[in-house]
Amino acid sequence: MSLYDPKPRLKIFVVLVLLVVTVLGLRLAQLQIVDTKDYSGESRNNAVREKRVVPARGVIYDRNGVLMVDNEPTYTIMLTPRYFNEERIGLLANLAEVEDSIVVRKLQEAKEWSPFQPSVAFSNVALDIISRVEENRYRLPGVTYATTQRRRYLSDGHIGHGLGYVREISRRELEERRVDGYRPGDLVGIAGLEKTYEPYLRGEVGSEFKMVNIHGREVKEYRDGAEDETPVSGYDLHLTIDSRIQALAESLFVGKRGSLVALEPSSGEILAFVSKPDINPRIFSRPVTAEEWSAMVSTPEDPLFNRATMSGIPPGSTWKPFMALVGLQKGIITEDTVYRCRGGYRLGNRLFKDHQGRVHGNITVKRALQESCNSFFFNLMMQIDVNEFHRWATYFGFGKTFPLDIAEQNQGLIPDSSYYNRVYPEGWTAGFSINLGIGQGDMLVTPMQLARYTATVANNGVMKSPHLVREIRHPETKENAELQLPEDEIVPIDQKNFDIVREGMRMVMTNGSGRWAQIPGVESGGKTGTAQAPGDRDDHSVFVMFAPFDDPEIAIAVMVENGGYGATQAAPIASVVVETYLNGSLSPTGKWRRNQVATLVSQPLDEKQ
Amino acid sequence: MRVWYRNFSFDVVLVWAALVCVGLIAIYSTTNGPASEFLLESVRHNFFRQSMWALICSAGIGFAFMLPVRFFQNAAWPAYVITLLLLVAALVVGTEINGARSWIRIGPLQLQVSELAKVGTILAVAQLLSAKRARIDTVRYALYTAIVITIPGLLIVLQNDTGTALVFFALVPIMLFWSGLPLINLMLIVSPAVAAYLSIVYLPAAFVFAIAFTLLVYYQTREFRIGAMAGLFTLGTTLLVSQALPKLLQPHQVARLLSFTNPGSAEFRDNVGFHLVQSKAAIGSGGLTGKGFMEGTQTQGAYVPEQSTDFVFSVIGEEFGFIGSVIVLTLFTILLLRLISLGVQMKHPFGLMVAAGTVGVYLIHIFVNIGMATGLLPVIGIPLPFISYGGSALLAHTAMLAILLSLHLRKDDFSIYGY
Repeated sequence: MSLYDPKPRLKIFVVLVLLVVTVLGLRLAQLQIVDTKDYSGESRNNAVREKRVVPARGVIYDRNGVLMVDNEPTYTIMLTPRYFNEERIGLLANLAEVEDSIVVRKLQEAKEWSPFQPSVAFSNVALDIISRVEENRYRLPGVTYATTQRRRYLSDGHIGHGLGYVREISRRELEERRVDGYRPGDLVGIAGLEKTYEPYLRGEVGSEFKMVNIHGREVKEYRDGAEDETPVSGYDLHLTIDSRIQALAESLFVGKRGSLVALEPSSGEILAFVSKPDINPRIFSRPVTAEEWSAMVSTPEDPLFNRATMSGIPPGSTWKPFMALVGLQKGIITEDTVYRCRGGYRLGNRLFKDHQGRVHGNITVKRALQESCNSFFFNLMMQIDVNEFHRWATYFGFGKTFPLDIAEQNQGLIPDSSYYNRVYPEGWTAGFSINLGIGQGDMLVTPMQLARYTATVANNGVMKSPHLVREIRHPETKENAELQLPEDEIVPIDQKNFDIVREGMRMVMTNGSGRWAQIPGVESGGKTGTAQAPGDRDDHSVFVMFAPFDDPEIAIAVMVENGGYGATQAAPIASVVVETYLNGSLSPTGKWRRNQVATLVSQPLDEKQ
Repeated sequence: MRVWYRNFSFDVVLVWAALVCVGLIAIYSTTNGPASEFLLESVRHNFFRQSMWALICSAGIGFAFMLPVRFFQNAAWPAYVITLLLLVAALVVGTEINGARSWIRIGPLQLQVSELAKVGTILAVAQLLSAKRARIDTVRYALYTAIVITIPGLLIVLQNDTGTALVFFALVPIMLFWSGLPLINLMLIVSPAVAAYLSIVYLPAAFVFAIAFTLLVYYQTREFRIGAMAGLFTLGTTLLVSQALPKLLQPHQVARLLSFTNPGSAEFRDNVGFHLVQSKAAIGSGGLTGKGFMEGTQTQGAYVPEQSTDFVFSVIGEEFGFIGSVIVLTLFTILLLRLISLGVQMKHPFGLMVAAGTVGVYLIHIFVNIGMATGLLPVIGIPLPFISYGGSALLAHTAMLAILLSLHLRKDDFSIYGY
């Protein structure tokens, strides 16, 4: 056997060493150069947590700069299931002052949402609980807390249906709005202004990137904050609402169902906006349980229903100024045309009666308004084609919706011949439409439309667009976002005809059905209305008014469901609100009127219709 | 005029120092970073302790240079016997750390005898194979070699330190290679390991390998008996691993063995695959240039378990990127190639065999450790030489280097002619 010399095996061994090093080098190249993006993502998901910094939601002021809605801090306890030690359930329950089973349930919910992300376990937690949790923090891995905000309502009037409310975003909405940067637990405007102006109020959410260690604790700023984004606070809303008369108006609706809309005729600014009953937005500061919600939704009073823009009622006699304006403008009547009222209007074999069969005798248009003579307006309606009627009503904004910053609106109903053809296919006669002359029959208007119509009459036919927001102003930069108000609309009726009708409405207040709502020292124009309610219920009480007479600063429409005559409830409410707005306080008469009307209620509903 | 340090390998000592420094930098980053206040108290002093060990090791190299040239040969068998005694002692009176009963406490020091055992074993094998007869009767001496290595290896298995034991078993074919065992026999010994690895990673490749290897062996030897053995080893292992493994081992052992091919899957991600998911995320996210010293999010967040010991490479990969990783690999390559050349320069087979053993141990450690951290191999807990935190490992690995350097320093006084 030959002597073995190990040296020739040297080359093989060197090759082996180089082979091993090459394999490792190639593997490193694969991980660190070819696939580095995947691993970077993985490591970032692991160790970098984006903390969203939600800016303060914009606050809300009234027209005089009175703060109505702002924010207050509230604490939230969060759970991250991956890091949470289940042996500490008892400890956490003890600290949070809840049953163990509640912590178990919250943990289960959090796991279902995400084991790795913090989920809200308890919101609106008291500060002393937070400090106790903080003291025990080292024993409670996976338990963190966050400071969030909730809305604080400072005004007595809460404009429930106007402001809307803010609530934690729902899962369904979250899916739609995830692209806009919404995340679970975020607040979002649900209805009204909070919804309409959501993008302004919310501001821009910022981010802070934190490095977290394997136990889920934040250990430092990620890249010293190089990727952080500063939040931009939201815009504040400056409303057209006068918080004082808003609160007064709301207080007058206790026990009533109905609505009130007050406008500044020269601008269309909404001074007061009431729809009752409503939901106090304060309750949404905490999570609303399913039971509470269904209780709210199922009550026959329907507090979620925005009566100011959604309820359609026949306007009753408040419609008569419109009829007078159309008659005058079309030349069917003049200021001096005399009509002889016999206490009713006979059409064929039917008699359309005046109120309580009262005989007004020889009257002109002004007196017909003052006395609210039905026969006069039946007669007038018989001379107006129903399509013509429809066209004129449309000029005043009836039968259609218009741009409004509170989204939902009912367009109401103003019939034309095609409507009658559709609804009464067996044929229809003038008897079907004659009631339109006194604001009854197949027609519906909303209180908002009525208020706008009243403001237009007060404003000589220049129809402004009603709106709730005056300015959208940034609190820091003081810069204003542009309000998009529609152009004015002009109703093609001559000034002199407005003068005649307004004079009639003044006479309503001095000597007619509105005299009990007269404001001492202030001249005004108005018109009562009594609208038939469906079923055997009491009529709806309706009233429209503007004041001062010569240079109107406020136009108002009030409707109280099943409140009786227009003069009974709606007129005193309107009068008290207008007097307070114009004079800043109430005269003794006004005070008496306020106390009187505050005791009245809508006829109760026995069941939902 | 010949100076005494004419044969002193400054370059090797520099590379050693560089690697130790890389290790200290990585350990510093894991324990003194911005998030260190959240670490366990016991971990926070790792940097200081490892620095002390580095100083002790430097002194040890100096000490080794002062020893007479024949010392190591004379000490080889006694060292081996002491090694075995220590391993038995650790089994009886040792302390258990991380499930392995391979630690002995001496005063303030905790020594991992399974690491130190490498030194005595290498010396003994070198001494065994440098006998003249070993160069004639290669097969018989191959058997002796295997026995000398396997005895401490089995003791370490009993200590439940599987990773270190595997190094011993992997050392067997490397030493046999140097002892002159015919290559075909060597290939037969190694082939089951290759077949097993391929069966886990990609089964068809294992079958292709088994068939190709069998044919190759047969056509090289033209001996049916050896060809059949090749087929039996490779195909047998392939079938054993792919079919019978789940029945032979506990489920958690199977999972540990198989998970490295797909550590991120839902089944492994939060248990056996966790180390690897985190380590790969660390290394891969380092990219070309790395995230910067003490800037690695995985490292600072302590996501990779054992990141200053067995997974220390994840720190280098994350914070210093591909460039840093390649520099470390290059340092290792220079070291290994230089050690081989030192071995060859020596005129005595003992020196060559010490070099072979030392390079073999380093190579296994480097391949298994980096291979594990990058997900090429299953998770086997062994340190990266000179870099991983751990005094015993640093001491053992430096001792081998120091012995080799000392032998080389005096290679002119140390030749076969001086028997």
